[in-house]
Amino acid sequence: MEKIEYTDEGQFFSGHVACAGCVEALSMRVILNTLGKDTVGVVAPSCSAVILGGHPMSAAKIPVLHGTLESAAASASGVKRALKAQGRDDTTVLCLAGDGGTYDIGLQALSSAAERNEDILYVCFDNEGYMNTGGQKSSSTPRNAATGSTPFGKTTRKKNLIEILAAHRIPYIATVSPSHLNDMAAKIAKAQTIEGTKVVIVLIPCLPGWGVADNDAVATARLGVESGVFPLFEIEDGVRYTMTKSDKSDAINGYLKKQKRYRHLTEADRADLQAEVDETWSRLLAQAETTV
Amino acid sequence: MKDIRTPLWTHLTSEPRKTGTWRSALPLYQNESSPCLDACPVSGRVAEWIKQVKDGDLRGAWETLSDNNPFPAIAGRICHHPCEIACNRRDHDETVGICSLERFVGDMALDQGWQFPLPTKERTQSIAVVGSGPAGLSGAYQLRRLGFQVSLYELKEELGGLMRYGIPSYRLARDVLDGEINRIIAMNVTLHTRHDVTDASGLRDLQSKHDAVFLATGASRPKPLPGLDYTQPWVVDSAIFLAATPNDQAQMTGAHVLVIGGGSAAMDVARSARRLGRKVTVLSLEAEGQLPAQEVEVVEAREESVLFVSGAMLQQAASADGVVEAGCTRVEFVPGGTPGSFSVAPIQGSDFTLMVDTIIPAIGQDADLDRWAQLLDPDGPVISTDGNWQTSRKGVFAGGDLASMTRFVTEAVGMGKDAAHAITATLDRDCAALTPPAQAFVGNDRINTAYQADHARSTQPVVPASTRLKSFDEVQQPLTQDQAHQEASRCFSCGTCIYCDNCYFYCPDMAITKLENGYSVDPDYCKGCGLCVAECPTGSIHMQEDELT
Repeated sequence: MEKIEYTDEGQFFSGHVACAGCVEALSMRVILNTLGKDTVGVVAPSCSAVILGGHPMSAAKIPVLHGTLESAAASASGVKRALKAQGRDDTTVLCLAGDGGTYDIGLQALSSAAERNEDILYVCFDNEGYMNTGGQKSSSTPRNAATGSTPFGKTTRKKNLIEILAAHRIPYIATVSPSHLNDMAAKIAKAQTIEGTKVVIVLIPCLPGWGVADNDAVATARLGVESGVFPLFEIEDGVRYTMTKSDKSDAINGYLKKQKRYRHLTEADRADLQAEVDETWSRLLAQAETTV
Repeated sequence: MKDIRTPLWTHLTSEPRKTGTWRSALPLYQNESSPCLDACPVSGRVAEWIKQVKDGDLRGAWETLSDNNPFPAIAGRICHHPCEIACNRRDHDETVGICSLERFVGDMALDQGWQFPLPTKERTQSIAVVGSGPAGLSGAYQLRRLGFQVSLYELKEELGGLMRYGIPSYRLARDVLDGEINRIIAMNVTLHTRHDVTDASGLRDLQSKHDAVFLATGASRPKPLPGLDYTQPWVVDSAIFLAATPNDQAQMTGAHVLVIGGGSAAMDVARSARRLGRKVTVLSLEAEGQLPAQEVEVVEAREESVLFVSGAMLQQAASADGVVEAGCTRVEFVPGGTPGSFSVAPIQGSDFTLMVDTIIPAIGQDADLDRWAQLLDPDGPVISTDGNWQTSRKGVFAGGDLASMTRFVTEAVGMGKDAAHAITATLDRDCAALTPPAQAFVGNDRINTAYQADHARSTQPVVPASTRLKSFDEVQQPLTQDQAHQEASRCFSCGTCIYCDNCYFYCPDMAITKLENGYSVDPDYCKGCGLCVAECPTGSIHMQEDELT
């Protein structure tokens, strides 16, 4: 079997207050340790802010600036420019936000930073809703998923943020999953070497928000990747697509079954979701094939 | 009062927060039994030695194997492998080729001349082992390891019992058999060949000279087949046939041989006769696909053009004009509840006749209990023993085919081992008899197969039928080193930690520390989520509820 191979340098501390079994904390551990000591964090209000903070304590060994929800990317841009002014060109600026702070409230700031190609690494922990405030829907919530504000399932589809970002022609966009930690570490390490705006989207099956068992978030994420619901891929300069995993299983049922938010689905709903996944997948494959 | 001009920098890590207080259960690292170990007649620690093969430590693998079985090269060839039948990998792709790996390790040991160490502490007590088949040799080996002086009594000239006189060399090469037996004798076992312990007085005599006696004389009396006149020259007993040299076998048989039976012995007789150039028909009560012989034996017999008439029995046989007319009828065969028991109902009007030259019944053998009459109580067809292989006479133990109807070589090896430990327990109060392994084992549901790539089983090369019919050389050929490594890598290692570090890396709370040989869990921070257990590929961690304090 393939062994997990990144080194834990102690950049992320025990005692953080993420839920038991939270894979956002797990992903944070991989990301902080991969980026190393010469990193400054900027975090939007989100689960990440809660996990990292709790003044006067911090779960990260790096300095972290807690900003506002709409301004994460702008704050990170400022921090990076300030570091440059100090001659610290090599210091990585890591911006952490949830999908609420990325797809919805922080989108304007992110779009502006991307347009200016600010030299930041923006990581979006995408748990497909406002899970930190009780589980309301965001524009990242997929169709049919039940949330606190869409108890009968969301009626519209998930916003395709990746295509929006690709349209900015930023140098690097990638998707990663807590079920594939070597891939996560490799993509974060790669992003760190690239100058300009890098965005990495992490799939985070939220235990309370999605209704997933405490020990099941990794398996759920794995099924998300394997069924093609959350494809793993990279986009370079907004146009060059590379599939990390270029095959998918036939059915998303296994993925849906793990989550209480999909418990109300009818056979027809599942078929709709499957069709959506198949369509997105083949579109992605076509893009990857034309750019190989 | 704090000076408000001092910047309120974060000045603490989160570590003072002991989030372990949230927990209700803690992961517990505990190697557990696997389905293969549970099924293994010698309780071999399969996952452990296969991991050693995978890690390239063949010497270590051989030592682990020979803790329980001094015959890995033999068992790797002829074991009925209940381990493979139980293997959890079955539902993933194919079961692991445990026997081929065991053979690989066993052959390596013989090739390298690895020897068993002498016991570190010699005892003065001596044990007589009667019979040098798999049970007797296994018992002698374990008793020597435990430091006893062992005298081995064997009726025949050479050692090995059924392994030598019942299993043909094309299934078990004689240099392999000799090599693994000699290695046991080299542990300073005192040999008494051509020594017949014929009766009760002989047994009393042994008891007077030794502190305990282990009887493992096997089952050497052919079961008589009704309707067959054994005095006819065209009737040959299967045990005599298999024990004979090929030249003698040729003398015993005519052009068309009818073998009666469906077990391993019947297959061996049939395949040996084919190697003598005979036409061979096997007549068995069991229907096709239900023969008690191992599947591979039936397959190889078919490849060697052995003809099968299944679901039929012999009613009478008579010689006329130099040809034997074997009158047969088709039957309904219903297996019974215990090994060897069954019932048959002839099907009306289905009689048929086979014209043959020789009939070799191979329907099993019984233990000779008569010679111990008045001294040892029988239990049906075998010697009666308690749970610890102790017979009705104190100080006399029995094992193998003499004491059990589970008639497989490795079952006998297991009985020899268990009896040796039982004998030790009676002679040395400080030693306990072996406790049977835990009943519970790690099932498929506890194996995370996401970490297992699909990989077909490496199969042993087989000599083509046309070539193998020309000699009595081995049919199954060994795996190459690469194949063995590949096959070992297929093992799920159910219940045995492989130190893959998944638990360490998947902990969101950094509560797991890697140790030299294992892991520790920090109860201050473990929130009890169970991700480590869920992502463990081997099922060697489980959650244990915290006790209320």
